[in-house]
Amino acid sequence: MAKPVVIVVGADKGGVGKTTVSRTLLDYFSANNVPTRAFDTESPRGTLKRFHPDITEIVDMTTTTDQMKIFDTLNSASPSVTVIDVRAGLLSPALASLRDIGFLDAAKSGQITFAVFHILGPSIASLDEIAETANFMVGAKYFLVKNFINNTSFFEWDQATYNAYFHRIKDATELTIPKLNEMAYEQVEVASVPFLKFVANKGTLDEAANYSFVLRGYVRHWLANVWSEFDRIKLTDLVGSGKPALRSGEK
Amino acid sequence: MLITPVYIICSPRPLVGKTLIARQLSEFLLLKNGDVTAFDINLKEPSLLEFLPDITETAEVDDTFGKMALMDRVIINDGIAKVIDLGFHAFDEFFKMSEEIGFMKEAARRGVAPVILFVADADRVSARGFATLREQIPKSALVVVDNEYVVRGELPEAMARSRILRIAALPSFLKTYVDRLTFSFTGFLRNEGNSSSELHQWVRRNYLSFRELELSLILQRSF
Repeated sequence: MAKPVVIVVGADKGGVGKTTVSRTLLDYFSANNVPTRAFDTESPRGTLKRFHPDITEIVDMTTTTDQMKIFDTLNSASPSVTVIDVRAGLLSPALASLRDIGFLDAAKSGQITFAVFHILGPSIASLDEIAETANFMVGAKYFLVKNFINNTSFFEWDQATYNAYFHRIKDATELTIPKLNEMAYEQVEVASVPFLKFVANKGTLDEAANYSFVLRGYVRHWLANVWSEFDRIKLTDLVGSGKPALRSGEK
Repeated sequence: MLITPVYIICSPRPLVGKTLIARQLSEFLLLKNGDVTAFDINLKEPSLLEFLPDITETAEVDDTFGKMALMDRVIINDGIAKVIDLGFHAFDEFFKMSEEIGFMKEAARRGVAPVILFVADADRVSARGFATLREQIPKSALVVVDNEYVVRGELPEAMARSRILRIAALPSFLKTYVDRLTFSFTGFLRNEGNSSSELHQWVRRNYLSFRELELSLILQRSF
């Protein structure tokens, strides 16, 4: 049996696109036939749940019952990949509680594959966070995600500051999420469907929808770019499903 | 299967005869099918809208709204031929967008047949524009328009290897005549008694070229 994989998507700041990245991850795994489940910590109302209602559960990571719900089922649950969308401000506490329950040690000893997607915001505070979380990151795969979806610029004005932070963590991999056309992004929001379904012109229940061809085109193009980033970091290898399979809807 | 042709008349250069060709092609399609929709993406040039106000709509590709308004119409396989008169300033943006949103592929899937009519010129901007098109447009859908009035001589080599549609040069007094806003090619064919006049033959020859173009489109599809 494949090792359970836990992917935490988080940032200490709101509005940097955590949920967007989680959504692309879920789409990516579903396109690669990797069974996945997701937890949304945005309790009580989760954005991720709105887009992927079938596989998403809303949890409160600070409570023991919900921690059990997530981690005690890791071995028994059939989906091999668990994606956790950690609410703004909760990344460091979440990692701390993971350490407390011995999860990080399990990851270190290789029983569990553990990856963190750290979405960067445009402020120094968000870079400070990197330093903070770095302490927990032994044994984890650490991905720094530069999210350009909302046109952030990442301290390109000061390479020294930038490097000081970005090289703080050893073996961190940088990932870039390109910008998506604003209107296209809004339309997907309005439609409340996964990006994949939007591209395939389908509604929430797989019924035929009538999205703009232009916007679908932009989403398809953008999603292909995001996925090629995931391919680049060999995400499917990480979750143990081998080579990225040929996907429909891609060039 | 029903095929809807979409003719995109383009050049990265102004004043090479795009609108003239768009006018004639639209009139030809109107005569042949009784129906055509033309889109005018020209802000700075003599405009198709002024010549054929009844069948022409304006469109733009500067923002996403404009792109949606245009492309969501053009991608529909409704059997009504479309003509797009693409102004030189919109050339880059249009093809960048069409590449990004996968226009050619989606069109093929839906039975819409885009035909890119690239109006040739001998300068470098044209050469570069043409190279871009060669990269993203299948050879069968890319036609070089050799407007004798503009090219005056041999086509650049890269373009000469493509499919070519020739438009002969008119003497300038006839050119002034067809450039009048009230001039109609079909109307001229109908009303001009002397079928051996130069303009009469010129219009007929061009209509014949358009017909051949359309025919080859259908033949290509049936394979």
